[in-house]
Amino acid sequence: MGVLSMKSSTWVCIFPSSIQELLSKLPEPILDRIEEVRVRQERPLELNYAGQFHYVSRRGVLTDVPHEGYRPTREDGNRLLDFITNHSLYTMEEELRKGYITIQGGHRIGLAGRAVLTKGHVDHLRDITSFNIRIAREMQGVGDSIIPYLLDFRHQTVNHTLIVSPPQHGKTTLIRDLARLMSTGQWRHPEAKWKGLKVGVVDERSEIAGCMKGVPSFDVGPRTDVLDGCPKAEGMMMMIRSMSPDVMLVDEIGRPEDAEAIREALHAGIRVIATAHGGELEDVLRRPVLNKLMSDELFQSYVVLRRSGRGMSRRFYDARRRLLHPDGLAMKGGGMDG
Amino acid sequence: MVKLIGAVLVIVSGTLFGFYQAAQFANRPKQIRAFILALQRLETEILYGFTPLADALGKIGQQLTDPLKSIFTEAARRLTDHRSSVTAQESWQFAVEEQWKHTAMKQSEKNIIYQFGFTLGTSDRNDQIKHIRLAINQLQHEEAAAQNEQGRYEKMCRSLGLLAGALIVILIY
Repeated sequence: MGVLSMKSSTWVCIFPSSIQELLSKLPEPILDRIEEVRVRQERPLELNYAGQFHYVSRRGVLTDVPHEGYRPTREDGNRLLDFITNHSLYTMEEELRKGYITIQGGHRIGLAGRAVLTKGHVDHLRDITSFNIRIAREMQGVGDSIIPYLLDFRHQTVNHTLIVSPPQHGKTTLIRDLARLMSTGQWRHPEAKWKGLKVGVVDERSEIAGCMKGVPSFDVGPRTDVLDGCPKAEGMMMMIRSMSPDVMLVDEIGRPEDAEAIREALHAGIRVIATAHGGELEDVLRRPVLNKLMSDELFQSYVVLRRSGRGMSRRFYDARRRLLHPDGLAMKGGGMDG
Repeated sequence: MVKLIGAVLVIVSGTLFGFYQAAQFANRPKQIRAFILALQRLETEILYGFTPLADALGKIGQQLTDPLKSIFTEAARRLTDHRSSVTAQESWQFAVEEQWKHTAMKQSEKNIIYQFGFTLGTSDRNDQIKHIRLAINQLQHEEAAAQNEQGRYEKMCRSLGLLAGALIVILIY
């Protein structure tokens, strides 16, 4: 937990001093488990952790009564925006169009305000009054119990894998750790003796590696290349052509062009580990693009994640979507970001 | 003898004061000019470079000479100092307040540059550019006024210093 405490202090710094003061009064164990801090102008400051939400009162204690909560002022909002944009809103035009900013440490901040349209499309946001600060936590070791099930012994690599889980249940944390394990060659299996692989990460939303100026904030392994902020489909094609990865990782696939790029990777002999939103495999099957990929048996393994109160459960399926290990064992470590 | 030395000292200091005043009149348009150029460079950094504000200010500061240099570098230093947690506006305005006394510029330019801080870094590129151009425009007016004053008062100040010194000597000798 020592590492986490150190990390938590870094994200507290982005808040204006009024909010920083309140947060610093919270007990350390809570601070270490916070997943989201939600700042809404003139409405109570909210914290989410371990699946619950609370407001923070003016005295810096947690409360469930909205009107006791500290209400961030306009000044607080402006200062927060100034800090998270590194005092340079004009460098964040693309981010403002997409509605979120990634800051140092890989934390992602979702924004809401008034949209400015040009020709019917969102150009950028102005009057930003709602901030959702999602705290990214590096949880080294979450992939340890999963990677042995993904190994392809014949080719000394990993299977094409689709990881399915609802938002906030640890997908991104998991593939970040998988990148590290594959890159360093830690296969967590007595018979897997091959060395680390070249890993390519297409990190459209700067969440997996949390890059700042192109350098990953998280440990994603020594043989990992990160294409930061690049649209997935285009990024995958660029990776295939230029970086010759052995394994490629992408987060949240679902558009037709993503599927096209995955097929391309397959034909180039590159293994793909992708994630998709969904509670069950059936949910994913209902999405036409993914359904096509799955019915063509392009994925050799499926992992379904679910977080319950006591920890993580995961299930594995093979290419024909048959349940492989119906154990549903609890994994260590509860709090993960989506 | 002592009287004579005193008289010389009074005349010398009067002359120096006159020269100093004249230099202020001569430096003011020069510094305004340099500030306009610096703002134009900032415009380029923002419009084409997408350079973060702290880097842009630091870079521009390095290319300037004092006293303008310290306004930019001081503002950049405050922004990069993570412990101080100041906004762009605060660091800019603080640097202006802090360093202004070393410049030859006057209150009217200070107001323009101080006002400019309110929008610094807080809007999209188009808006930033508009504010920079507005500031440049206003400074150009001040520059013209400053040049006018320089033409009128620079020489006068020089001779006035010497004459004032001489007058004091005559009065108290």
